[in-house]
Amino acid sequence: MTFLCSILSGGLPGYILVALLLFVVGLGAVLGRRSILVQFMGVELMLNAANVALLAFARFRGGDVQGTVFYLFIIAVAACEAAVGLALVVGLYRHRRSTDTDRADALKL
Amino acid sequence: MFLIFALITLIGAVALTFQRNLVVAGLCLVLSFMGVAGLFLLLANPVAAALQIIVYSGAIVVLLLFVIMLLNEHQEEPASRRRPLQRWGSVAVLLVLGAGAVRLVARSQVLRTLDHAPLPPAMTLDSLGQALFRDHLPAFEGVGLLLLAAMVGAVALVKRDL
Repeated sequence: MTFLCSILSGGLPGYILVALLLFVVGLGAVLGRRSILVQFMGVELMLNAANVALLAFARFRGGDVQGTVFYLFIIAVAACEAAVGLALVVGLYRHRRSTDTDRADALKL
Repeated sequence: MFLIFALITLIGAVALTFQRNLVVAGLCLVLSFMGVAGLFLLLANPVAAALQIIVYSGAIVVLLLFVIMLLNEHQEEPASRRRPLQRWGSVAVLLVLGAGAVRLVARSQVLRTLDHAPLPPAMTLDSLGQALFRDHLPAFEGVGLLLLAAMVGAVALVKRDL
C-alpha cells in the first residue's frame, strides 16, 4: 500500500516506474512496427526513458547539478543521432523506394 | 499532478505504437515529449524541461516530420507475409519486461529509503552554467565538435553526388 501511495504522490518509485514502462513501450514500437520511421521514434522514446530515470535519481539523491549536465550532453548526442539517422533513412528510401524494414534484407542469409 | 503527466507520457507512447498514420504518430511523439517535460518540471528541473521542449519536441520532431512528408510515406505498407512467431514472441517479451519492471519497483527497498530523503532546492540555470563551464569545458567543446561532424556527415549521406 505504501508503494501505491508513493506512486500516486509522485515519489521516486513512480518516476522509475514511468521510465521503465516508457522504455518497454518504445521497445514495442521498435519490435512491432515495420516502418523504419516509427522504429526511429521508438528509439527516441527509449532514450527519453533513460533521461527520466537519470534526472529522477539526480533529484532524489541530493540534487547534484552533474545529472543535468549529463542530460545536456545526452540530448546533444541525441540530436546528432537524429540528424544522421534521418539521413540514413533518406538514403535507404533512395535505394529501395520504401521505408519498410522488411524490404531492406540485402544482408540476410 | 505527477499522475497526469505520467499518463500523458505513456498514452502518447502507446498511441504512437498503434497509430497507422505516420504524421499522427509524430504528433503522438510530441505529446509524449511534452509529458516528459512536465515530469522534469515536477522534478524541480525547469532547465531540463525547457531543453526537452526546445530540442526534442522542437528540433528533432520537426526534422522527423519533415522527412516523413518529404518521403511521402504516410502509411505503413501491408506486410508481404505474416510472421506469427516473431509477433507473439515480441509481445511475450514486452509483457515479461513490463511485469518485471512493476515487480522490481514494487519490491525495491533502496527506492523506498531514497524516497524519504530530504529534497534539495530546485535546479537553476546559474548552477548548471557554473558546473558546465568550470568542470566540463573540454566535454562541452567536444560535443560542439561532435554536432559539427554529425551535420557534415548527414549532408554527405544525403547529397547524391559529392
